[in-house]
Amino acid sequence: MTIPASEMEGHAVPPLGESEEGVAGKVAGRSPTQLAMARFRADKLSMISFYVSCFVVFAAVASPILVKIGVFDPDGLNQDKLNTDLGGIPHGAFGGVSWSHPLGLTPGNGEDLLSRLSFSMTYSLGIALTGTLITVLIGVVLGIISGFSGGFVDATVGRFIDLTLSFPQTMMLLALAAPTVLLIRKDVSELPLLGFLENPDLANGLFVVIILSAFGWPPVARVVRGQVLSIREREFIEAAKLIGASRKRLYFKEVLPNVWAPILVYTTLLIPAYISAEAAFSFLGVGIKPPTPTLGNILRDSVSWTTADPTYFFLPGIVLALTVVAFNLVGDGARDALDPKTHR
Amino acid sequence: MVAYIIRRLIAGVVLLVVMSIVTFALFFASPIDPAQFACGKNCSPAMKAQTAASMGYDDNFFAQWGKFAKGVFVGRDFPDDPKLKITAPETIAHCAAPCLGYSKERTSTVTDLIKQTMPVSLSIAVVAFAFWIIGGVLLGVIAALKRGTLIDRGLVGLSLVLYAFPTFFIGLLLLKFVAIQWNWVPVPEYTPIAEGGITGWLSSLLLPAITLAVFFMAGYVRMTRAFVLESLSEDYVRTARAKGLPKRTVTFKHALRAALTPIVTMAGLDFAGLMGGAIITESVFNYPGLGKLAVAANTDFDLPTLVGLVILLASFVIIANIIVDVLYAVIDPRVRLS
Amino acid sequence: MAISKKPFAALAVAALATTLVACGGSDGDNGGGSKSEGTAGGNAIFYNGVRNTEHWDPQRMYIGRDLNNSGRLFYRSLVAYPASNDPVKGTTPIPDLATDTGTSEEAGKVWKFTVRDDVKWEDGKAITCEDFAYGASRNFATDVIIGGPANYLFTYLDIPTGKDGLPEYKGPFKKTGQDLFDKAVSCDGNTITYKMKKPWPDFPQSIASLRYLDPYRADLDKGDASNFQIISNGPYKLDGKWTEGTGGKFVRNTNWDAKTDTIRKALPDTWQFKEGDTEETIYEQFLAKTGDANFGVTERRMPPTFYSRIAEAGKLYTKVESPFVDYVLPNFNSPVFKDIKCREALKFATDKTAWINAGGGERAFTPAYSAVNPSVPGYEKNAAFGDIPDNGDIEQAKAALAECSAPKPVKIKFTYSGGTPTSDKQASALKAAWDKAGFKTELDPLADTYYSVIQKPDADFDVTWGGWGADWPSIGTVIPPLFDSRINITPSSNGNDYGNYKGGPEVDAMIDAAYAETDLTKAASLWAGVDAKLGEDVAYIPLEITIFNFLHGSKITGYSNNVSTNGYADLATIGVTK
Repeated sequence: MTIPASEMEGHAVPPLGESEEGVAGKVAGRSPTQLAMARFRADKLSMISFYVSCFVVFAAVASPILVKIGVFDPDGLNQDKLNTDLGGIPHGAFGGVSWSHPLGLTPGNGEDLLSRLSFSMTYSLGIALTGTLITVLIGVVLGIISGFSGGFVDATVGRFIDLTLSFPQTMMLLALAAPTVLLIRKDVSELPLLGFLENPDLANGLFVVIILSAFGWPPVARVVRGQVLSIREREFIEAAKLIGASRKRLYFKEVLPNVWAPILVYTTLLIPAYISAEAAFSFLGVGIKPPTPTLGNILRDSVSWTTADPTYFFLPGIVLALTVVAFNLVGDGARDALDPKTHR
Repeated sequence: MVAYIIRRLIAGVVLLVVMSIVTFALFFASPIDPAQFACGKNCSPAMKAQTAASMGYDDNFFAQWGKFAKGVFVGRDFPDDPKLKITAPETIAHCAAPCLGYSKERTSTVTDLIKQTMPVSLSIAVVAFAFWIIGGVLLGVIAALKRGTLIDRGLVGLSLVLYAFPTFFIGLLLLKFVAIQWNWVPVPEYTPIAEGGITGWLSSLLLPAITLAVFFMAGYVRMTRAFVLESLSEDYVRTARAKGLPKRTVTFKHALRAALTPIVTMAGLDFAGLMGGAIITESVFNYPGLGKLAVAANTDFDLPTLVGLVILLASFVIIANIIVDVLYAVIDPRVRLS
Repeated sequence: MAISKKPFAALAVAALATTLVACGGSDGDNGGGSKSEGTAGGNAIFYNGVRNTEHWDPQRMYIGRDLNNSGRLFYRSLVAYPASNDPVKGTTPIPDLATDTGTSEEAGKVWKFTVRDDVKWEDGKAITCEDFAYGASRNFATDVIIGGPANYLFTYLDIPTGKDGLPEYKGPFKKTGQDLFDKAVSCDGNTITYKMKKPWPDFPQSIASLRYLDPYRADLDKGDASNFQIISNGPYKLDGKWTEGTGGKFVRNTNWDAKTDTIRKALPDTWQFKEGDTEETIYEQFLAKTGDANFGVTERRMPPTFYSRIAEAGKLYTKVESPFVDYVLPNFNSPVFKDIKCREALKFATDKTAWINAGGGERAFTPAYSAVNPSVPGYEKNAAFGDIPDNGDIEQAKAALAECSAPKPVKIKFTYSGGTPTSDKQASALKAAWDKAGFKTELDPLADTYYSVIQKPDADFDVTWGGWGADWPSIGTVIPPLFDSRINITPSSNGNDYGNYKGGPEVDAMIDAAYAETDLTKAASLWAGVDAKLGEDVAYIPLEITIFNFLHGSKITGYSNNVSTNGYADLATIGVTK
């Protein structure tokens, strides 16, 4: 349930003529990056989304601190504020909204919803970001190697992509969840420096990250490979080869800087897709479990309280939608800014 | 051409073999004991050992894979016990080729289970596919042609918002309000064509298909819009316009055609993936398809069913890939060179 | 056990209660249901919900719901319970396929039943004594007939046990040791004789509660492949095939003669069984009062999310205390809970109220004070738990924890059967209470792998969760299955003794004495003594008794949550109106 592969490829590769034009146009004194930034800033919607995204990131970073100093209490019980005869919905209007609990309480245990939603960003975003980083890393490395080397290496990577894509992702996720998490917690955590993986939250989170990146990298690799193919015959590469640049230098000093734009766009679009994916996985019972909050496991509980506690039902859904839409719009904005030709 | 197809087919078979070995390895490495689950809860160690033997779980990795592969071609017996074959042959489950295994938990061959559930998944996939392709492409084209207007922004915005909600969220809301509380449609219950006719079948698929289509549609609207905009700015479109061709002809004959080809390819692959059952949608609506089967098999760690399903679904994707590649080669002669 | 509130955890027991205490409370909503007499005809629906039926093979069934439903619709036994909500009548077997309720000789070591000569299978063949003997023999095919309660027969029937702990008779398929079985179970004309190793005074109750001694047709037995095959001898037969995950349809069995049957009213013309719907879907439909659900009943409990809408349901709402008990078990193999003081600290720290509130409040659960349900004869409040306040005793907990030998802070791992938002909330609530007393609790929710993990004697959890109900009204079907280390613990598995409790010679002797007592009242008080000893050892800490909250369709008649069907809807009397 991550991004449908097709959608990712849909954000096709913006042709990268500009890097050289930029060099030529130095007279104007503005680098292509600056130009893109200016274009991004000019777009109101992108800027609003950018601010929302920043706020989400801020919440993700600040929440653990706020929990530590006691401002947030995501798993503290307030069962005395619940109506235990009605299945444990909070007393008071709007799901128990009050000064001390601005977004109300969760049914059953009476935990503070604001704390939970805020702290959930730490985990949800943590998973999404780590997953994206690993996905992009694998995709970029294999894409560059495959595109640049061609021949046998290219074919091998191609078959590897075919193999990866042939697995039914959700089914693998479901079937491997229990055994893999068990394996991580029992065996992997025995390895030196990995003892922290005994922690069930980290082990469950790691599993989601593994699945996301294991099945997410092929489109990245394909996009990057396509890019590399188009620039590997360029003069500056030839020149670098003639000077006797090492393979490593060619890959990462010469090729990589010229494919970063599509990678950036791709990255910003992967993050929201992975946030949604985490939520979908939670519905299937895979991922970090309560009381540790993630957007997914909060939503999974809240979705059955439509009638009994509408506030609790709506808020997590709205937060998820806002977050995903905002990150997506930032991605769109970045693409438009980097590649104005196709979209304006 | 024939040589190309043969080459692709061989590659596909090799891929399938590698894929099945990887699958076996993944499950074999699992710290969970499938015999424990096959045996049930009140199971003594002796009973568990018997179960493991009857299912072949006590073999080593290569022997298990070998038996599986052999079963695909010649079938298998469960339990493969010569003594029982003499005293009580009626208690031996024969799994005819192509045998994908036998599920002790569901007392059925995996092939039969798939035969039972496949039509459901296929039905959802077909109807959802129709919805999302028609809806997604149409709206995407409209958005592109009206770019910059309120319609464009609205469509793109709506698809974004819908895309933001996970499938289960949308599905549960549709089920709860549209079907149960407002009673606009009956509570969805899968009706085969044989029972309800085309209309009964279609109406039973309405909500699950919409749920699934919404998820894909959002992507397709954006993708179509991007492709159409891109091709509208291509040189040959400009040339056509400069030639003085009517705008309508240019848009529909030149630009759209070019834009739609990659979309159709992708849709084909997405569809192949979907045949594997929309796990979440089927769970939400309680549709007895492949996805629901996978969920159930996962609950009791029914290894033969899980492995059988994974391998079957992978073969769908591999076959779809071959078909797409071959079609491409037919359409575009340059591909044959590769 | 049949409650299936949490995946797997409670798989094992077919429970039976003697008294289903209709819950009091000021809301006056107890004893609801549609008492009006129904008329024949129509189609009724049973919602199995997300918990699929795993076996329809009578010798393999062990889920209360399936035992009840099949017994009311298509399987008959020698004796059965009448459809009654009377605590005594509802648990006293009456003749069904036998002419009487059985006669015992040698103080319960030999049991004889005579099979009626006017009863038939669905294909018209007469039900014979040999069919019963064959059915009993299937329990011994431990490699094919898996999942049932055969252990009781292994314990009691006079068939020697081999070195591997399994009987030397290997069932009717392999036929190894057939002569041993034929000596223990024999037919003389229409009279079947069961010979036991030791007295079994409540043998008829075990027949009426379980299905493992139901007759079976040797000529139609396909072993494992017969799992979902239904050879009916009751009022309904399966029409076509049973499809796991979807269900099946039952139609009238013309070879069933109402005159031979005093229990089953068989009012609807057809019964549709539906699998896979979530509680939310089922209950939303009941409340909407539209569509097919009007003709439906279910065994799924109403989720707490619906409690605020009970008024909408009116008479369709019923509430009854279940025969199950939930508890937590300290792991006696864990370095922490080897020490009795640490176990006592846990006992005092346990907050039943918080656990109950997290799971839906007092409408969903009532506190328990023993692993034995109050409905089982001989139940006594366990002295070790009776005096602690329901929300725990922090002071005593802290005092006990101070004496606990484990390094402070005492880190413990609570492994439980998670996977649903409610179970996760309950665990969080329990953790909060334990942590308040000074423990440092790590939650370890397991969904699918739950019992395969906790059944390992070397598993590294410190506390786990369990739930149980009596197989028939005797503490002998609660304590030994859960705590008798001799039948549970082997080097590779702890059976149902998840806490790895080993009572030692003293407890073993107490259990044997209770088993040996043929007077059921005296036996009950001996069993209560064993329970008291378990309490002293803190072998378990009781949490709550589930309260069943049900709705049923608005066009259902004759609905009642009978004692004879463990508090679930009794399908024997249900009908539908137009």
